[in-house]
Amino acid sequence: MKNGIWKFGTKEVVYGAIGAALYGVLSWATNYLALPAAGNISLRPAVAIPMFFGVAFGPIVGFIAGAVGNVLGDFMSGWGFWWHWDLGNGLMGLIPGLMAASVVSFKARPTIVKAVIYSIVAAAVGMLVPSLLEIPLSGLDLNTALVGYWFPAFLSNAINGAILVPILMVAYDAVSSRSGR
Amino acid sequence: MENHAISTPLEIKNLNFTYRIRTTPAIENINLSINPGELMLVAGASGSGKTTLMRCINGLIPRSYTGIIAGEVNLFGTPIDQLSMSELSQTVGTLLQDPERQIVASYVLNEVAFGLENLAWEREKIIQRVDETLAFLNISNLRDRETFTLSGGERQKVALAGVLAMNPKILILDEPLASLDPASAHEALILFRRLADEGISIMLVEHRVDEVLAIKPDRVFYLDEGKEIYSGDPGGLFYTANYHRIKLPAEIILERAKAEGQPVKFNPAIVKLSEIQPDQKLLEFKNVSFSYDPTLPEVLHNISFDINKGDVIAVLGHNGAGKSTLVKHALGLLKPTEGQVLLRGIPSHKNTVARAAQTVGYVFQSPGHMLFAPTVKEELAFGPENLKLSPAEIKENVDWAIKTVNMEEYADSPPLALSYGQQKRVSIAAILSMRTRVLVMDEPTAGQDYWNYRFFMDSILEMPGFGSIVFITHDVDLAVVYANRILLLSEGKLVADGSPKEVLGDAEMLKRCRVLPTSLLDINLKHFPKTGRFMRAEELAHAL
Amino acid sequence: MLVTWKYRNRGKFLDTLDPRARWITSFLVLFSIIQFWDIRFMLFFFVLAMTQYFMTGLKWSETKRVWMFVTLLVVVIVGLNALLSGRGGPGEVLQSTEHIIWETNFTIPLVNWDFHPNITVNKLAFALTQIIRMLSSAVLFFIIPWTLDPRLYGVTFGGMGIPYRFAFSMDLAFRFVPSLARDFGITLDAQRARGYEIEKLEGGIFQMIRRVAPLIVPIVMNSIINGEDITNAMDLRCFGLEKRTWIEKLTYRRRDYAWIGFGAAIFVASLILNYGFNVGEFWVPEFMYLLAK
Ligand SMILES: Nc1ncnc2c1ncn2[C@@H]1O[C@H](COP(=O)(O)OP(=O)(O)OP(=O)(O)O)[C@@H](O)[C@H]1O
Ligand SMILES: Nc1ncnc2c1ncn2[C@@H]1O[C@H](COP(=O)(O)OP(=O)(O)OP(=O)(O)O)[C@@H](O)[C@H]1O
Ligand SMILES: [Mg+2]
Ligand SMILES: [Mg+2]
Repeated sequence: MKNGIWKFGTKEVVYGAIGAALYGVLSWATNYLALPAAGNISLRPAVAIPMFFGVAFGPIVGFIAGAVGNVLGDFMSGWGFWWHWDLGNGLMGLIPGLMAASVVSFKARPTIVKAVIYSIVAAAVGMLVPSLLEIPLSGLDLNTALVGYWFPAFLSNAINGAILVPILMVAYDAVSSRSGR
Repeated sequence: MENHAISTPLEIKNLNFTYRIRTTPAIENINLSINPGELMLVAGASGSGKTTLMRCINGLIPRSYTGIIAGEVNLFGTPIDQLSMSELSQTVGTLLQDPERQIVASYVLNEVAFGLENLAWEREKIIQRVDETLAFLNISNLRDRETFTLSGGERQKVALAGVLAMNPKILILDEPLASLDPASAHEALILFRRLADEGISIMLVEHRVDEVLAIKPDRVFYLDEGKEIYSGDPGGLFYTANYHRIKLPAEIILERAKAEGQPVKFNPAIVKLSEIQPDQKLLEFKNVSFSYDPTLPEVLHNISFDINKGDVIAVLGHNGAGKSTLVKHALGLLKPTEGQVLLRGIPSHKNTVARAAQTVGYVFQSPGHMLFAPTVKEELAFGPENLKLSPAEIKENVDWAIKTVNMEEYADSPPLALSYGQQKRVSIAAILSMRTRVLVMDEPTAGQDYWNYRFFMDSILEMPGFGSIVFITHDVDLAVVYANRILLLSEGKLVADGSPKEVLGDAEMLKRCRVLPTSLLDINLKHFPKTGRFMRAEELAHAL
Repeated sequence: MLVTWKYRNRGKFLDTLDPRARWITSFLVLFSIIQFWDIRFMLFFFVLAMTQYFMTGLKWSETKRVWMFVTLLVVVIVGLNALLSGRGGPGEVLQSTEHIIWETNFTIPLVNWDFHPNITVNKLAFALTQIIRMLSSAVLFFIIPWTLDPRLYGVTFGGMGIPYRFAFSMDLAFRFVPSLARDFGITLDAQRARGYEIEKLEGGIFQMIRRVAPLIVPIVMNSIINGEDITNAMDLRCFGLEKRTWIEKLTYRRRDYAWIGFGAAIFVASLILNYGFNVGEFWVPEFMYLLAK
C-alpha cells in the first residue's frame, strides 16, 4: 500500500463494488432463507463483509461495501431506502479499514485479534451514529435510541463480525499467496 | 502515428520477467515479432507463461504487476514504456479468458462504450462508434440487452466489441474459447480470422490447438516453462510439440505415436456388465419434465432413462440444452415438475438432498464454489461430518480420498492456496470422502489444459469404488475416450441414448444438435470396423 | 436465485423527472420536516409525502411489505419511547403529569424497576405527532427503489458532484449483484450436495454463526479472485483518466427546475416559520384535554 490507506484507484473502485454487491446479496439471501435466530441476535452473517473488506482493502473500500451494500440489500428485499442506516453501515466498514496499513499477514494471531477489536468498535460506532440521528429525525429520547435501536444492532453485528472476520481473513491469506497484483 | 504503415506492430527482444513474489522467472528470453494482419497462435501448457507474456505486451506488466523485467517490447517502433495509458489502450486491445470477468457494465451499450467514456470522447461520437462496432460484429440486436442475460457466446462478442470499439491495431485474445461450446467456439474463431484479414494483428492464446488450426493461423509460437520451444509455421509445430501436453490433430498423434513405444495402458475400474440385473438400477428417470418457475418455459421435456451399475455416461448437448438441469435431478437439488426420479427405488420428493448425497456424489464445475476450509483435510471431512459418520470412519475416508487423488503432501495446506488443477482434485476428493456409489460431474475438464485434464480423468476412471460415473461435457473427445454410453440432449429433449458408436456415428443427428465432430472421432469411426471400439489416438496407433 | 430490481418505468410524471431533481427535493423536504413538532405541520407534510407516493402509481401488492415493515417499526419504536420515560423531541412537554388518561404502576420483576407508564394527554398527542412524522419521512424515501432507474445511479451521483470513481463503483456494484446471486445459488447447491443443511443449523449462537462459513467463504473468495481480472479489464480500457464522459445524459428541464423550486420553497418557508416566527413547536389540540379524567 504505497499511497496509504486513502488511495482510491481502479482496484479500490472494483473491490468497493464487489464488497457492496456481496453485502447486499448475502443480506438478502440469508433473510430469504430465514436462518434461525436466537432471541434478539438475528443471524445476519453478512455484516462481516464490510468489516473484512475494510481490513483487507482499506477504509474507503470498507465504507462503500457497507453503505452501498446496505442500500442494495434494502432494495432487493423491498425495504425502501434509509439513508442514515446506510451511512452507519458505511462506518462499520470504514473503521476496520483504519488498520489496513498495518496488516502484514492476514493469519498472524495479533493481526486477527486487532481486526476483531476494530470490528467490535466499528459495530458500536457504526450503529451509534444512525441511532443518534434517530433522535432529531424521529424525536426519540436517548434511552429509546440506545435500547431500541443501538444495542440490539450493535450486539448482533459485533458477534457476527467477531466470529466471521477471522475466518475470512484466514481464507484470504491463502488466496493472496497464490497471485495478486 | 503516421509510421504505423512502415514499422512492425509488435517486436519483442530478449524479454524476461519475474513476479515480485517468485524467485524464478515466469518468462525467459522471449523474441518475437508480428506483422499487420497476421494471426499468431500462442500455445503452451498451463503455467508456461502465456498470460505473463500477454501482460508484458498490453502494459499490465510493469504498470500493475511488479517484478523484475528485462528486455524490450516495441509497438510500432516505440518502446512500450514511452506510451501513455490512453495511447497504449488504443494500440493494444485485450480480451481476457472469461468474459464474465471482463464485462463491467449492466447493459450492452454501456459495456461497449466503456473505454471511450474513459477517454472522454464526446457523447455523440461514442454512440456512433458503438453502433458501428456492434454492426461490424453483427450483434446490433443486443444493443439494449442486459449483459447478465446474454448467453456465453453473445457475452464474448459483447466483450470483444468493447475492446474493438477502441480501434486497436493489435488484439490479444487469452484463451477466448474456454467457456464456449464447440459450435460457438468455431463461430468465434471464424470471426477472429475475419478481424485479421481486416488488418489487425492477432495473438491468440489457446491450448485447444487442434481447433485453432481450422482457421489456419499464420504462425505458431509455442512456450514451455517460460521458454520458446518453437516459432514458425503451424506445420512445424506438429513435429516439435509434445503431443501429451497440447492437443494436436488426431492424425498427427496417430502418425507420431506409431513411431514411439506402446502407451501406458489405461485401466478403467468400472467394467460394463454384460447384462443388467434389475437390482443394479441405481437411478431411474421416469417421464421427467421440469420448469424453474411456473411462469418460465419448460426446460426438460418428458425424459426417461435409467442409470445402471457399470455405466460411464457422457451427457452431450449445446449450451442451454438442459444438461445441468437434468443431472441436478439425480441428487434432488431440483425436483421434477412432472414425472419421477427414483434413487435406488426412492422417489426424490420423499428424500432429502443430504440423504441422497450418501449415494450420489455431485462435483460442481468450479472448485471455487465449494472450497472454504483452512486445510485440505478439514475440507474433505466436511461431507462425512454432515452425514454424521463416526470420527474413525471420517478419518479413514479422508485418508483414502486424499490418497486416491494423490494429494497426500498437501493434506495440511489451505485448499484456497493451491493451483486450479489441484483445487479441482480436492473438490473431487471432497465428494469421494463421502463414499458415494454414483459420481456426477458437471464439465469436469473446463478451464484445465489438455495434459492436466487427461491425467485427471484417467485417475478418476481408474479409482475403485464407483458403481457408475456420469459427466457433462462439451468436449466430444472426452466422450469418445471415456464413455461407454452417451446421452445427447437438445433443447430439453433426450434425442439419443446409446453406445458411443450408435450416437456419435450419426453425423446428421450431431449436426442437428449442434455438436461438432472432432478429428479423433473421425479417425475412430474410420477404423471402427477394425477396432470394434473407440479409443484414444495413441492406443489406436498400436491397435491398427 | 434470480434478483429482480423493483424499478419499472410506470409512465407517470415522476418517471420523467431528472433523478437529481428527485434526490434534491426529497432531502429539502426531509430537512423541512425535522424542524417541526406541530401535528398540523406534520399532517401537511404527510399529505405531501402521500401525494408523491400516489404519483408513483405503485400498487399495494408491490409495497405491502415495506408498509408492514414501516408500520411495525414505528409502532414498536414509539411504544418503546413512550414506555422508557418518553422524553425526546421537544422533550420536557412529556414530563408533565397532568391530564392523566390512564394510570398504571408496575415493577419489572428481576431488576425491581418501578415503572409508571402513565398515559397523559401530552404523551398521547406527542406519540401521534411522532407517528405521523416518522411515516412522512419514511414515505418520502422508501419509494426510491421502485422509481429510480438503477442504471442511472452512476450518472446521477456523478452529476451531483460526487467523484466519478465513487459513482462508478456504485454502477459496478449493481452490475455484480445478479452474478453474485447466481453464485450464491450455486454454492448453496454445491454444499448441499455435500450433506450441508442450512435449515438445520444447530448448536449455540456462536456455533451457528460459524456454520455459515461454508456458504460465505467460497463466494467471498471467489469474487475477490475475479476482482483481479475486472481490475485489469478496466485498467486496460483506460479507467481512471482525468475526465470521463457518461454516455447516459441527464439534463435539467423546466419541470425539474419546477420540482426543485417547489422543494426549495418549502424549505425556505419552513426556515422562516421556524426561526423567524417561532411557530411549529409541539402543540396539543384543545379537544384532547377532554379525554383526561
Ligand atoms: N500475479 C502473479 N503473481 C505471482 N506469480 C504469478 C502471477 N501470475 C502468474 N504467476 C506465475 O507465473 C507462471 C506463469 O503463469 P501464467 O499465468 O503466465 O501461465 P499461463 O501459461 O497463462 O497458464 P494458464 O494456461 O494456466 O493460464 C506460473 O508459475 C504462475 O504461478
Ligand atoms: N436457476 C435458473 N432459473 C431459471 N432458468 C434457468 C436456471 N438455470 C438454468 N435456466 C435455464 O434453463 C435452460 C437449461 O439450462 P442448463 O444450465 O441446464 O443448460 P446446460 O445444458 O447445462 O448449458 P451449458 O452447456 O451452458 O452449461 C437454459 O435456458 C437456462 O437459461
Ligand atoms: Mg493464462
Ligand atoms: Mg451446464
